[in-house]
Amino acid sequence: MRKLHITSPIIAIIPSIAILGVIAKLISTFHAGGSSLILDFAYSAITPSVDPLVIKAAINGLKLTLFTTSISWGLSSIIGLFLGILSSRIVSRATFGEEIISRVIRCLLCIPRSVHELIWGLLIIQLVGLSIWVSIIALVIPYSAINARVISDQIDNFDTKPLLAIRNSGATPLSALLTALLFKLIPTMVSYFGYRLECTFRGAVILGIFGMGGIGTELELTLKSLEFNEMWTSLWFLAALMFLIEALINKSSQELTVKELRYLAIFILPILLLIPILFSNENLVNFGTIGWHPIPFPSSQELKTAFYELPILNLISRTLILTVLSAGIAIGIPPLIMFLWPGKNGKRVQTIVWFFLRLIPPPLTALLIQLTTFPSIAVGALALGCHNVGILGRLLKESIKNDDSSNKYSILATGADARTVWLYGIFSKQSNRYLAYSAYRTDVLLRETSIVGLIGGTGLGWQIIESLSSFDWNQLIILVCIYSTLTIAGELISDKLRDHWLNDRTQWEFSLG
Amino acid sequence: MDIQNQIKKLTCYSLVILIVGSSPKTIAQQRLSIGAIPDQSPERLNRLFNLLSKEIENELKVPVKYIPVTNYTAAVSAFRTGSIDLIWFGGLTGVQARNQRPGAKVIAQRDIDSKFRSVFIANKSSELKQIRTMEDLNLLKGKRFTFGSQNSTSGRLMPQYFLKQAGVKINEFAGRSPGFSGSHDTTIALVQSGSYEVGALNEQVWKINKKEKRIPISKIKVIWRTPTYHDYHWLAQPNLDERFGNGFTDKLKIFFIGMKANKSESQRKVLDLFGAKRFVRASEKDYSKIEQIGRELGKIK
Amino acid sequence: MKAKIKLINVSLKGVHNYRLKDISLKIYNGERVALVGKSGAGKTSLISTANGIISPDNGEVIIEDFAIKSLSTKQKVKIGTLWQDHRLVEELNVNQNINSGALARHGSLWAIKNLISELDVEECLRLMRVVELSEELIFSRVSELSGGQRQRVAIARLLRQRPEIIFADEPFSNLDPKLVELGLRILLNRDNSLDEIITAKTVLISLHRPELISLFDRVIAINKGEIVMDEKVKDIKEKDLESIYIE
Repeated sequence: MRKLHITSPIIAIIPSIAILGVIAKLISTFHAGGSSLILDFAYSAITPSVDPLVIKAAINGLKLTLFTTSISWGLSSIIGLFLGILSSRIVSRATFGEEIISRVIRCLLCIPRSVHELIWGLLIIQLVGLSIWVSIIALVIPYSAINARVISDQIDNFDTKPLLAIRNSGATPLSALLTALLFKLIPTMVSYFGYRLECTFRGAVILGIFGMGGIGTELELTLKSLEFNEMWTSLWFLAALMFLIEALINKSSQELTVKELRYLAIFILPILLLIPILFSNENLVNFGTIGWHPIPFPSSQELKTAFYELPILNLISRTLILTVLSAGIAIGIPPLIMFLWPGKNGKRVQTIVWFFLRLIPPPLTALLIQLTTFPSIAVGALALGCHNVGILGRLLKESIKNDDSSNKYSILATGADARTVWLYGIFSKQSNRYLAYSAYRTDVLLRETSIVGLIGGTGLGWQIIESLSSFDWNQLIILVCIYSTLTIAGELISDKLRDHWLNDRTQWEFSLG
Repeated sequence: MDIQNQIKKLTCYSLVILIVGSSPKTIAQQRLSIGAIPDQSPERLNRLFNLLSKEIENELKVPVKYIPVTNYTAAVSAFRTGSIDLIWFGGLTGVQARNQRPGAKVIAQRDIDSKFRSVFIANKSSELKQIRTMEDLNLLKGKRFTFGSQNSTSGRLMPQYFLKQAGVKINEFAGRSPGFSGSHDTTIALVQSGSYEVGALNEQVWKINKKEKRIPISKIKVIWRTPTYHDYHWLAQPNLDERFGNGFTDKLKIFFIGMKANKSESQRKVLDLFGAKRFVRASEKDYSKIEQIGRELGKIK
Repeated sequence: MKAKIKLINVSLKGVHNYRLKDISLKIYNGERVALVGKSGAGKTSLISTANGIISPDNGEVIIEDFAIKSLSTKQKVKIGTLWQDHRLVEELNVNQNINSGALARHGSLWAIKNLISELDVEECLRLMRVVELSEELIFSRVSELSGGQRQRVAIARLLRQRPEIIFADEPFSNLDPKLVELGLRILLNRDNSLDEIITAKTVLISLHRPELISLFDRVIAINKGEIVMDEKVKDIKEKDLESIYIE
């Protein structure tokens, strides 16, 4: 009897089936009403507005986003590094002789990580009032926790024998840790924190879309008033900056020599640190006055009532469906397209398409799609999925590029066609790592559903924003707790899956975002 | 060692930068911050509120700063947290804000606000007829329908209330839910483009747009004007007298009610941009009906 | 005479069986002891328990009247260990690795200085001459060195620590005979020519090959976690040794 045996390259492509369902839904709800607007949007890409006022608004928006990005990135890197070291098992064992402290910190760090930066932003604005610090705090809280986790995982994956040897020769914990681990950690840190800069930038743009200022706000306003030419002015500026940041990060993720590291420390870091002072003088940044305005804390009875008022199961299931559909698209499409069109031209087109998918933030994609369809879960799934296709596509491309191609030539020598070569010779080597990363990405997507929920009018993210607009603190507290529990569970599952696909997690953890 | 020196220098610089760059600019003198719910395009609001800021500065001799807010919820939060002293609220947002900031003072409303209306507009291709009686609203079932912002009085709350009275549930529209365009201007644009067949919005915004012809409306017709209700008003923080001197809140009231088109060119412009002839007295009572409807539709707890 | 190292009823559990079973032994000041046995006999377990890396499940390890558990971090400087796998910090250069042996005698600031500058170069060069490592390599990264060179760095680091007791776990397997000879000359210091550099008189070295034992004072053989022979070198007959390895 033959047993069906599915290998990992195939498992990676299967999820792309999700797009069939999504597209079927979109076609069934399609109406030609907004097609002129979509064409208008596409055409505006080559005719962006060159009105000096519009350009100035875009540049100012970009400055503000950079301001937020650089401060949040700097703070979350420093705090993340610090917490990461504290929550590392190795460090804890070397310092206190026990792991208990690192375990406690690890568990506690689950919580800030489980809530998306947008939700943090919406909550914090309630607590401290209008200020640029809202978006900074909103980014720093979850990102520090994410950084801490990656840093501690990195440290815990190091070979500890030299550390033990040095410890045993009588060195104090601090001296031993510095000597044995610091120089191991630096290259990892450079490439990982480089990557985080990109994530922080994307996060700051998203917060802008929800009204916290910067280029995101410009994009949202111009889209809402259907001024596509003006929107493209902002988009092209955003694209230029994103290109720059990605190029910088590509450079930093390669093995750097000591000399290059020094250049990086002397030139790039000060520039990033200088951005805050350069831009803060321009009457651009609303520092506001930060206060503390706690929301009334509800009684358990009130919470109970709120709990029964909400259609919890429906909200959870809609959130999960949204996650599964968007993850299916995000995971399955990149390898599928690369398989179908493996040639040189294909690669070029893919690189450009992935870039534009990454460029346009999902809430805006969703708004655009919605011009010609009814609001539905499929709209959100497609928007979120497409954006992540851009992210995963680039990642897969980079990782294939960095791989040696001996396998490829041996398959090529059998006379196989280009597609077979791609599937057997190139992708099969990557597929386990790709799946492992996909498991992680799915976990991220679960949190990210909150940014498109509003458009699809569905899921926990949408209900949080709706409850917030009615200032229903009881519902809000319940919803955030449920969402947080859900994502913590998601993280645990994704961790297990990742371990399954990848025995050695270290390599790909750089690119966690 | 030169690396050591470099590192020392670098650390010093970065520390200085961090400290200088991150210390919030504290404001020495008391400043009146004003704001508005973003119900119209930000450029228009910017123009209007910068003009108004100057006018208040001249008349009341206090520094004024306009703080733009990008969504309705944030505007209410900004008022609750004291980030903004004086805000131009809609009916619903005003009530929400007063509930969260007890003691907040209603300052004034426009002459048009006591008899405010929404309009329902339709794309001509939808072949919808004029709505004569409330019952005719049932014709909208199964159409692609959009509100404005989720917390707008004229763009959502009152239209939804009238629909409810006519027996139309909001999940009876096409796609089993209405859209939320986000602002009145967007509603016009989306109905004009055909993305939505019907939309509900603020009548005054509609009139101004018709006059100024900013957004094309060639494919739109008005199918219904709602009954009247109370809408927009100025709301001030309860502590303005303490911060700006006794009687400041009253001075604000007198200032708004005293604005006249023939008094100065700038006052004419401000009133014009507000779409009003003058401001009139307002009291909390005017909005009790809105509060009741807000509770009924779950927008006020 | 007082024992320098004392193991009292030491047992260490493995997954299925005992890795060390009820071992008691005393090593006196100035004794140079060879530990022999087949692979898997428990040599590494015994060395790692004796130097304090592993805590035994039962029994106690005493170093100079103090339980090894109760030694403070600083006091551990007395115990030096040479590992089969060297355990060097790959990212650092030779200079920094040798200095890492002296961390116990300095503060954390010194540790940082060691990472970012060239520290105590003269001292390191002197030790490199002793281990016959080319002086040009002082600022080379350890990861770029050959196996033999790395073991020389490891010995230099051990010397930099100036321990009173030296443990070594099969330090000479897979090394060329010249290096083995050099290593033994340094660690055992039989002719006392290195008195200035090497302070340790008490040495416990596990050996893969029995032919080197003639240089030692005493031989302990273990099998399956138990001591099967403990004799002065001069009393050992070839037959005894063979039986340990053949069986």
